[in-house]
Amino acid sequence: MQLTMHNVLPNYLQPTPKERVSAIWGNTVSIQQGDLVSVQAPSGAGKTTFVQLLYGLRKDYTGTALWDNLAPNTTDEEALAALRTNNVSIVFQDLRLFGELTAMENIEIKRCQTNTTSTATAHEYLQRLGMSHKIDAKADTLSYGERQRIAIIRALMQPFNWLLMDEPFSHLDNSNRQKAIELIGEIVHARKAGMILADLNANNYFAYTQTLIM
Amino acid sequence: MSNPTQHKLLRKLLLQSGGKLRLTVAIGTLVAGTTLLLLSVLVWWNFGMLLSGDAQKGNATKNYVIIAKQVTDYNMANTAGNTFTPQEVKDLLQAPQVQDVGEVIPARFAVYAVIGGRLAMATDLPLESVPDRFLDEVPEDWTWEPGKRQLPVILSSQFLDVYNYVFAPSQGLPQLSRTSVKAVGLKLQVGGEQGNTLSAHVAGFSEYLGSVLAPPAFIAYGNKTYGQDAASEQPSRLVLKVADPSDTRFAAYLEQHGYTANPQNLRWSKMRAIVEVVTTATGVLALLLMGMSTLVFVLFIQLSITRAQQSLVLLGQLGYSPRHIYRFVAGRYIPLIVGAMLCAMLLCCSMQLIAAQVASRSQLILPSLPGIPVWGALIISTSLLLILVSKSIKKAIRR
Repeated sequence: MQLTMHNVLPNYLQPTPKERVSAIWGNTVSIQQGDLVSVQAPSGAGKTTFVQLLYGLRKDYTGTALWDNLAPNTTDEEALAALRTNNVSIVFQDLRLFGELTAMENIEIKRCQTNTTSTATAHEYLQRLGMSHKIDAKADTLSYGERQRIAIIRALMQPFNWLLMDEPFSHLDNSNRQKAIELIGEIVHARKAGMILADLNANNYFAYTQTLIM
Repeated sequence: MSNPTQHKLLRKLLLQSGGKLRLTVAIGTLVAGTTLLLLSVLVWWNFGMLLSGDAQKGNATKNYVIIAKQVTDYNMANTAGNTFTPQEVKDLLQAPQVQDVGEVIPARFAVYAVIGGRLAMATDLPLESVPDRFLDEVPEDWTWEPGKRQLPVILSSQFLDVYNYVFAPSQGLPQLSRTSVKAVGLKLQVGGEQGNTLSAHVAGFSEYLGSVLAPPAFIAYGNKTYGQDAASEQPSRLVLKVADPSDTRFAAYLEQHGYTANPQNLRWSKMRAIVEVVTTATGVLALLLMGMSTLVFVLFIQLSITRAQQSLVLLGQLGYSPRHIYRFVAGRYIPLIVGAMLCAMLLCCSMQLIAAQVASRSQLILPSLPGIPVWGALIISTSLLLILVSKSIKKAIRR
């Protein structure tokens, strides 16, 4: 599954800001499945907008963004749901967990959608990220770092060709971040998937094949 | 793809905000509204059965109506004008509820009957004939041909009642059963002093014709041979076979054409009109209640979905399609709706069973199960409710 963007520009950035040069906004970008892409930008440059428009959550932009031939801003809800279930997974910047569900339930509600991953695998991931003891805790009672790890595991519970991550390690200590990086790296590699990671600064979390400065 | 875990989690996210008490109230209101609607149709249907005569045990007379033209001060001298033309007979076949029309042919010659023995009496006899298909029951020997000396007649049961309860006590005569009347022999003087003498016997009784009937062949022969007004062959009375004599459209047709009928039949139609007004009013009220209960149920669903709006949005962001969510929510509420409707129908069936038992004590037959109109009302109201709820869920999810 290939990602192609041509002259994409969010409405709120129009007209094109001349004071800043962006590798994404207003340009042509082509990314092949299997690419590991780092998107770097300071606050307010539109990282979250970029991730969300690829995921079909924002439609307030001009230009074209295509997953193969599917445009997330014009496709219908059913096709978009299929894209989100089978092809593109995400770790939101604001995590978006169900506060009234437990950590395990938040993972299960994603896993049950396709049943392509077992509960045992979910437990294994929880153990690897040091969250086994929190499975019955409600998401609302977890710290931000703990919720971040649950959101990462949830994103790995479905089949995907692309994994989108918006500042996924912002509240993780070095040790937990390293564990999360290893887990994500293994799975992305095993699935021959592509990855787009948006972060504030340059980083070497993964062996990126492309770096786009926004 | 769905499984128990997913259902459990979706129920936790989407359906628990409704509240069990609210759900119970919404379902209860729906059952009450539907039951009232079905009961109003049930009452209308039962009254229709009773008034149309289908429910009367052993009484087929309600389906036969004898009509004549109204005799007024203006037309009483014009006897020919008070008969029915062939066109009027043809038109009557197209009248509401009329299934068949038969001509009532009166004898246009004098018939004098004499009973000998202990009963010893003599009287002029008003004879007439109707086609055999209009008889309550055709006697076995109901035939006559010229030259035959024995004439079967059918007596109005009212005549026997008058004899048994009025005439016999006043004259010190014995009362007679139907069987014994059939055994009594009569001598008939037909066509006056210059006419003929025949023997006659009562072959049967008529419940709805208030005269003495003879086989059509005898009346035709007598009218031709002894008739005083042989030119006038148009009937002055008609017997109608009517599907539902209480139908107000039938009564209106008679009135519109200046025809008179048995007062009993007109009374049925007036009662039918009153019942129709009452059941229509009840039906309108029931429809309003059903509408309100539907509104309560739909609002309950919308409220539940609105309360779960945040979860709904997040589920969509995780890839749960609107169709999947709709199926889940509809799968929760539609069985409740169907259950509520079946519950209402069960109540209606119980009511019908009780009504049938009560009617039976009054010699009336009502079916022990509701009829097609009630089932039709159930199917229509359930379908409408399902469509409304389905649209409401889709709308709330899309929003």
